[in-house]
Amino acid sequence: MKYAWKEILYGRKKYILIELLLILLMFMVLFLSGLASGLGRAVSSAIDTMNADSFIVDDSAEQLITVSSVGTQVLDELRSAGANAAPLDIQRMYIIKDGDDEKLNMTYFAIEAGSFIEPETIEGTGLAASSADNPILLDDDYKLEGISLGDKVRDSSTDIEFTVVGFVDDRMYGHTSVGYITTDSYTRLRKALNPMYVQSYHAIAVRGSADYDFAGNGLELVSKHEIIENIPSYSAEHLTITMIVWVLVIISAVIIGIFNYILTLQKQKQFGVMKAVGMRNSELAGMVISEVLIISVFAAAVSLVLTFAMAAAIPEKMPFYLEAPDAVAVTAAFVAISVPSSMLSVVNISRIDPVKAIGGGEE
Amino acid sequence: MSGILLELKDICKSYRDGSEERVILDGVSLAVGKGEFAAIVGPSGSGKSTFLSVAGLLLTPDSGSVLIGGKDVTGASKGERTMIRRRQLGFIFQSHNLLPYLKTADQLAIVQEKPMREKVSVDELLSELDIADCRDKFPAKMSGGEKQRAAIARAFVNDPDVILADEPTASLDAQRGRLAVEMIRNEVKKRNKAAVMVTHDNRVLDLVDSVYRIDGGKLLKERFE
Repeated sequence: MKYAWKEILYGRKKYILIELLLILLMFMVLFLSGLASGLGRAVSSAIDTMNADSFIVDDSAEQLITVSSVGTQVLDELRSAGANAAPLDIQRMYIIKDGDDEKLNMTYFAIEAGSFIEPETIEGTGLAASSADNPILLDDDYKLEGISLGDKVRDSSTDIEFTVVGFVDDRMYGHTSVGYITTDSYTRLRKALNPMYVQSYHAIAVRGSADYDFAGNGLELVSKHEIIENIPSYSAEHLTITMIVWVLVIISAVIIGIFNYILTLQKQKQFGVMKAVGMRNSELAGMVISEVLIISVFAAAVSLVLTFAMAAAIPEKMPFYLEAPDAVAVTAAFVAISVPSSMLSVVNISRIDPVKAIGGGEE
Repeated sequence: MSGILLELKDICKSYRDGSEERVILDGVSLAVGKGEFAAIVGPSGSGKSTFLSVAGLLLTPDSGSVLIGGKDVTGASKGERTMIRRRQLGFIFQSHNLLPYLKTADQLAIVQEKPMREKVSVDELLSELDIADCRDKFPAKMSGGEKQRAAIARAFVNDPDVILADEPTASLDAQRGRLAVEMIRNEVKKRNKAAVMVTHDNRVLDLVDSVYRIDGGKLLKERFE
């Protein structure tokens, strides 16, 4: 390690160039990784942050809450059996700000006021504490649209009016921001659209375990993770970007390997001499691997700092969301892959014949 | 004979050159004792380098045996030969072959085995070779003579039994070349090593104890004191 470091210091000009290349690549990787989870959260954060472990949906819904239908009696039976359960309806609609005619995208999350899946507000009160007929909690993205506490917003298709009683942060579903309304408001909304509406729930959120004959009733219990994976577009977007991220991680690590291999080829004579004076292959391999490790750890550290500095400066609306554990996992993987990528050099060194150090080799 | 540190017996070595077999060494024997400095001279292509490579365990002979420190090492494995080169042999090459990125003290430290740190002082070696002021210099900042002397110091750093020098004056002018050979001689005498130097430089032969001429695959003793 000591001698590898001295070699890097001595040849710093060429090592700085390769570091620059790797830092840019790793920065791109981390940035993409942040965008990947940012986009993922734009699709799923309202479910992800929900204080529930699993969801009951009907077994023909293919684990998609919005097309599922669960009878109200299921909730009653679960509750009488002591399960921690709460109803949930998800409906994509438009709202119109009072005194305005611009339609805003909105996904209603209809919940029982005060149930365990009601999010904590960052401003205002909860649904239960409000005396308004139709209270609503909005994602704080709507503040950017000029909506503030106490404002009225109107459902565009039924003209039902909601009173904004609180704001929550980071609640999105399917790329739209979420508004939390009560199950009662939701029933009113549905009845206004279709007078024949018979109340049922899209899903029932469960915390802890629930003992119920799901299969016998045409239902299934699905984990939160699976629900998120099955939100339309989530997997497609997430998998694509994740794949790009990992391909780039591997490419960066391979670049270190190739760079190192070229350096090794240039140093054939040096290695031949070192072997002639009795340095073991293991010592030489150790030098090469520590050199690669120093280069990759340095590139990883600098790109991490750069990415988090960039993340702090990025506009609020950009779907960038990078958690330290994810970033560290990506960079750690990069460092880990760089080691096997230097094996090409190690194999090359082990094949160098030290006899070349003497005279012109063979006479 | 006691005190023989390097002994080669009946060494044969040939190369396949196209369809014909070229005999480079044809039954060569040599014994070098403690404190003895031997030179091997001969025209280029006569097998000097091959001879040195066999003595230095870099090539295995077709037949014959190599003894270092009284022990037969002919059949040693690759790993064992590496260990013997490190601990019992000291190499000095045509050009200094120092690592460009290490200061002189590190050039020596990188090849020095840990237990030798107590026994052989790097600083002492450097001052004996009159390059104590190069201790913290990179090879690029040193003169040709200084670099070759650093390479000589490197050969002694593991307190080896045998020193093998391959044309140590080749990259130096006459005066500096002579100085380098003088220094090898002083260290060999002081530390009681056996040394073999391959050279074509007749002007330094007065510094060695014995001279052998290699020609046509045979080694002939030319002078012995």
